[in-house]
Amino acid sequence: MVATSAQHAAAQGTATETKKRAWTWYRITEGMTPYLLIAPLLILMAVFIYWPLIYSSYLSFFDWNFVRPDKIYVGLDNFTRLPDDPRFIQSLKGTAIYTFALIPLQVLLPLGLALLLFRTRTSRLQGAYRVLLFSPTVIAYSVAAIMWLWIFNPNYGVLNKALSYFGVDAIRWLSDRDYAIWAIIIVATWKTLGFHMLLYLAAMEGIPKDYIEAAQLDGASSWQITRSIRFPLMTPTFFFVLVTTVISVNDDVFAAINVLTNGGPFDSTTNIIYYLYQQGFKYFQIGAGSAVAVIVFVVTVFLTWLQFRFVERHVHYG
Amino acid sequence: MSHISRRKFIGTAAAGSAALALSQGANAAPAVLKHSRRSSSQEKTEISIYHIWGTPPGGEPAATPAPMMQVIDAFNAQSDTVTLNTFTPGNYYETLQKTQADLAAGNPPDLVSVPWAFLEYAVEGLGVRSLADVAGDQFEDLKASMSEESWPLVTKDDTIWGFPWGLSTPILYYNADLFEEAGVAPEDMFDTWEKFAEGARTLSEHMGGKPVLSLQYNKDWPAQTIIQSNGGRVMNDDGTFGFTSDEAKEAMQTIADLDKEGLYDRGAGPELRPNFLSGNNAVWQASVASLNGITNEATFNFGTSTWPKFGDKPVISSTGGSFLACFTQDESKYEAVVEFLKFCASEEGYGLWNQTGYVNISNHDFERLEGQEPAYEQYEAGLIRETNWPGARGVEAGSTWDVYCERMWANDISVEDGVNQALEEITAIVGQG
Repeated sequence: MVATSAQHAAAQGTATETKKRAWTWYRITEGMTPYLLIAPLLILMAVFIYWPLIYSSYLSFFDWNFVRPDKIYVGLDNFTRLPDDPRFIQSLKGTAIYTFALIPLQVLLPLGLALLLFRTRTSRLQGAYRVLLFSPTVIAYSVAAIMWLWIFNPNYGVLNKALSYFGVDAIRWLSDRDYAIWAIIIVATWKTLGFHMLLYLAAMEGIPKDYIEAAQLDGASSWQITRSIRFPLMTPTFFFVLVTTVISVNDDVFAAINVLTNGGPFDSTTNIIYYLYQQGFKYFQIGAGSAVAVIVFVVTVFLTWLQFRFVERHVHYG
Repeated sequence: MSHISRRKFIGTAAAGSAALALSQGANAAPAVLKHSRRSSSQEKTEISIYHIWGTPPGGEPAATPAPMMQVIDAFNAQSDTVTLNTFTPGNYYETLQKTQADLAAGNPPDLVSVPWAFLEYAVEGLGVRSLADVAGDQFEDLKASMSEESWPLVTKDDTIWGFPWGLSTPILYYNADLFEEAGVAPEDMFDTWEKFAEGARTLSEHMGGKPVLSLQYNKDWPAQTIIQSNGGRVMNDDGTFGFTSDEAKEAMQTIADLDKEGLYDRGAGPELRPNFLSGNNAVWQASVASLNGITNEATFNFGTSTWPKFGDKPVISSTGGSFLACFTQDESKYEAVVEFLKFCASEEGYGLWNQTGYVNISNHDFERLEGQEPAYEQYEAGLIRETNWPGARGVEAGSTWDVYCERMWANDISVEDGVNQALEEITAIVGQG
């Protein structure tokens, strides 16, 4: 009997132990599940983003082209020589112009278009408008470039033809240093407009109808509803568009520069990303290109931090 | 209804993600060739070539294969021992970028078309194989198969680094209909630069004030011919820079003066060829290798000419085009590479290649194409190799000179200031190498 009780107690203890172990295992798997689910993405990011970032930081201290057996350590030379390079200075000027011109054009102009399009949401033509405005986003830059080369052509381009009706003399859009950068800005705006507009439109359509109806019952005008309800509730989308635009604005114009002007005339349409490309892939100076990449990374992180520090406080997350 | 346990779900998700990652990795891999291996079924050695004359990724293949593709197809059809795979990454820069990336990955193509101007970089920066090493005891035979004049173009420090292949030179194409309508005789206008300016004024007036002369793409290329034809040099034989000499400055000023009168087309690179083809300028400088394309595309009668002279001085032009450079890292494939090069030099191979319009530098006689005469005239007068800018940063130095040429000709900077600033910048760049 005693033995049986002991056996029973032992069996009970084993069962409890098994339950405990199962519970522990459950807790572990419960805790690990999210990590396992994001692991593939983290691995991809580690391979294609973080490792290249670390490696290019390392390469920025060397004079090398990936092929030569001698990888020469040059310390900070790749960084310190940049201020003496007129083409780097020119690329900084271009970067500033693109940034200040394109941020309003890529952040505010799509907002205006989205507001106009939202008002036509009951119209049968809204689908057509959306397609018209969004289609540039999905057209390949190489295809778009050929089209824009014809549009900008000083002799028979449609743009100069249209301007001539207003008495404007023929403009050499791609070969005059005063206009070429604006030609790139026009193409880059045309290319990205639709995507941002669609984001704003989705944000507006996501605003609960009862907020709007309540305001209408209280006698709020259309502008008051937009200003006091729609705009505040759209601020997360606005903030997202702003942050991603600041990060990518100079990256976005790269393709337009590359296919339309190759940085010319006289390097007047280059920006820091194109300069990086030239150093790394046209002049095969991987170390110098990496140094520029490090600078771009640091500046971008700083600008993003600034936005989170000073702009995010105005965002209403609902 | 099926039931999925947590454990099963996690396992499936992890396996699925891994599979997805692998498949994405496989999809992301560029469409590279399978080279560096021997096909067991056919017992043929597979080698590869990167060049600019095929269809780049995403492009539409031409209805009639380009001459280079015809050469490769004919070689593959007749060879029992070698299969040559071909890939066109894009233009010369893109081809070199792809080559460099593949070299870094330890999987380079066996042959690459490298511009003459990049010989220095191919040797110093990319470790191209010397032709003597690749060809071994067949080197002398290979050398005898191409013209003597062509070998110095691929020689550096007394070593031959490649196989001379596409030899072009810049020539002038003109719209013969516009000349006739304006009453300008081409042979008079292309005689000297003075007469060129006179003719250009008449032509421009006839064309409603449009510019007459356009110089295609990299301005440093025509600049070399113009400077040399006035007795100057971009780079002297001793390796010093010669573009600040009085002769060079006077030559550069000639185009800047045409620009001041609105006779020089400042158009962006991609605009110039369409401008010529649409009759919006009358004289277009390009490579003789464009002859085939212009013949097919022009809707007007056109002619070709050598460059105008400076007084009595002879026209001394430069080379263009590219040579075939060998990057084979597997010595067992040297023989296959040489077999292809021998085919290139053969009457059949070079005959196909000769359709392009490039200057014939083989030892075979082929009928010259209509319009090629100016190129042969310049070739026979002696071409100087396209400037090879020295040092590890030579490519950047060349690009800097190109931008200054563009600026001087468009009067964005005076010739005096342009050459001096270019010298200062290029010296700094080359010194950093």
